[in-house]
Amino acid sequence: MATEDARYRQTSQYELWSFSPTQLADMREKTNAAARARIAERLSSLPALSNNTSTPASSVNTPDPDGASAPALPEFLTAAEEAQLVTFFTSELLRAGDHAEMTDEIKATAAAFFRRFYVTNSIMTYPPQEMLIVALFFGCKAEGSFVSISDFVKTFGKDNPEEVLAGEFLLCQGLRFAIDVKHPFRALRGALMELAALPDVDRARLGAAETRAREILRFSPLITDAYFHYTPSQIMLAALSLADRGLAERLITETFHHVTPPPDSGADTPSASGTDAPSSKKPTARSGEDKAQIIGCHLRDKVLGTIEACRDMLAKELPERREHWTNKAVIKAQITPLRKKLNKCRDPERWNLVELQRARRQQAAKKADSEDGDPDDRGEAGNSLQSDAAVFGDPLTASARDTKRRKVLSNGKGLDDPFGGPL
Amino acid sequence: MAVTMTLDPIEQLNEDEKRKYIKGKKLGEGTYANVYLGHSRQDPSQLVAIKKIKVQQQYQDGMAPDAVRELKYLRELHHPNIISLLSVFSSKDQNLNLVLEYLPLGDLEMLIRDVDRVRYGAGDIKAWMGMLTRAVWFCHDNFVLHRDIKPNNLLIAADGEVKLADFGLARSFADPGRRMTANVITRWYRPPELLFGARHYGGAADIWSVGMVFAELIIRAPFLAGNTEVEQISLICKHIGTPTEDNWPGVTRLREYTVPSEVVPVWGKEAYMGRFGAVGADGVDLLVRTVALDPKKRITAREMLEHRWWRTDPKPTRKEDLPRKSGGGAEEKMGADLKRRNGILEDEANNSNSRGAKVARKLDFGQGK
Repeated sequence: MATEDARYRQTSQYELWSFSPTQLADMREKTNAAARARIAERLSSLPALSNNTSTPASSVNTPDPDGASAPALPEFLTAAEEAQLVTFFTSELLRAGDHAEMTDEIKATAAAFFRRFYVTNSIMTYPPQEMLIVALFFGCKAEGSFVSISDFVKTFGKDNPEEVLAGEFLLCQGLRFAIDVKHPFRALRGALMELAALPDVDRARLGAAETRAREILRFSPLITDAYFHYTPSQIMLAALSLADRGLAERLITETFHHVTPPPDSGADTPSASGTDAPSSKKPTARSGEDKAQIIGCHLRDKVLGTIEACRDMLAKELPERREHWTNKAVIKAQITPLRKKLNKCRDPERWNLVELQRARRQQAAKKADSEDGDPDDRGEAGNSLQSDAAVFGDPLTASARDTKRRKVLSNGKGLDDPFGGPL
Repeated sequence: MAVTMTLDPIEQLNEDEKRKYIKGKKLGEGTYANVYLGHSRQDPSQLVAIKKIKVQQQYQDGMAPDAVRELKYLRELHHPNIISLLSVFSSKDQNLNLVLEYLPLGDLEMLIRDVDRVRYGAGDIKAWMGMLTRAVWFCHDNFVLHRDIKPNNLLIAADGEVKLADFGLARSFADPGRRMTANVITRWYRPPELLFGARHYGGAADIWSVGMVFAELIIRAPFLAGNTEVEQISLICKHIGTPTEDNWPGVTRLREYTVPSEVVPVWGKEAYMGRFGAVGADGVDLLVRTVALDPKKRITAREMLEHRWWRTDPKPTRKEDLPRKSGGGAEEKMGADLKRRNGILEDEANNSNSRGAKVARKLDFGQGK
């Protein structure tokens, strides 16, 4: 049977949505640069609009060297500014989720969706205020709670179900259709049960630690990049460590008990006898080398290091920071200027979700009325070759394009990589 | 607004994914989805099934629950006995297309029903049950309940491997105390706790279905084929035993607990030997454990895998040597299976497959949580 770690590495959370900090920063830079380029292009191809949006900002032009001759472009958000706004809107999302009395899992899933979406999509392209509601709506569904859209929007005092529905598919596509998010909540429960089973742990202390750790899990990992960098169990242990460092360390030492403490004892000299360890409480524990591999002190130190790093990340956004993100002075000083900036540099072609969907549908209908398509589908099997051409592009030109694509793909994994290469 | 739009990176990625496959003839058409044969553009010999989820008229709330569930679970579960989701893309912007592995040999239902042309024995049943049990174990080990196990959701690959399909009713194990809908699992395969309206249940519900499939494989007909929920309960009482406080503490407190007044004691192993003896005493022992009335006493998937039946003779047949359906129709059967709306036995299908006049009513599962 595969270990839990091996299992985790098969999840879409690991496969598609886990990155090193450098990778993540890189992707955000790329997304930002691509969005600037596209929006600049779109603004200048829409004379009427570009005049409207750019006049107030004309004096502060972007450091876009060759944009000088074109009608003045607005100042764009930087990747760092985008990230800050995403964080602010994540806090808004969590508040909206609280308001609607959603479960911890739904709120956490929605927050993860929202942040994932804006890794590869710019906040200048799609409206964050709408997308956070979309993320909450789809978060409900992903967690198995199917609410009616009209009831849903009513909760937020709105009557615009079209907008939420128009964004749903967009979100889903932005998530690369991976909609299962793994959370640390159950892990926390499990950890506390394990600690409670130890002979000398104080119940009241456990209770306090659980309350605090849960409070942290409801906020800190969701508003930071923790989900991109750490596994649910690492996040759980980091939160527990912030709540009660002693308990977290105790749990880790108990887990990696194979060799007794001295951290300097080399990783390759584990005493292999299974009997010196107190009866195996971990079902994963096997014999000999396996044990050293899985629960030895080498791994323990590695885990401790990772937990510490995750802890540092969470410590930057402790639950008390909820107030920071709603503090009027902070918003006025840090957020409002960015939102003003955003209002001037948003994508004219994408920003309105309902319009966008309508245009897409028009385009699709025009492109392929003979397609396999819609509920009113009446295409016969004989038509399908033609339809393929319509959907997938003309076969002749396609083959030419294909060779080009193959080149691109050749460093990736092509068909063997079921969900496409890395982003 | 411009009608021709340039593609954002994420849209480009979708186009690329879509272009990897060529859609061919339609294999099945349903209210929920259409299924097409397809192949890889790069390697036309690599066949796939493309399940195109329709935008549903009657579901006004965006992406339909079955599509959400299927996408969520198939995307995560990778196992030889669970149908593989190879890719997902959108066509015409809002249509979800699931690219699934191509399973050309039909399903277990076809083999069970074709009594005249398909012969099989205990070794074959053992092989099929082994594959089914591993699939269910894997789901449960990943905290997923399938909630619609039945012979026509067990598709057969070209090499004979059985694959559990159709995750449109699946869900994760609920946290203790959180309620789930009782309105799942096609009636003939539905366990007594769900028939009694239980809102808290676990993997045992799927295991009952596994037991029903096991029984059906042996007798080559649905074991307990009730036309209504009430009849289903009476059949369970008659053939397995009446659930009472004695054999299932707490059962009388379930919301919809009603049983025929004449109490039938739970049948012992011996009672099954006549009808199910083809799989031997050990096989019958396993069967009886899967249909324990009290879900707490029902065998788990893991315990099933540890049962001695697998190790006694006859050995499970090698998958390559398993009986196959002769003649055509298998491809179409896959099309029909994949497009089917979950949890529903489609009425119109009845004249062609010998389920005859036993018209199943639709289950109203969609709205429940």
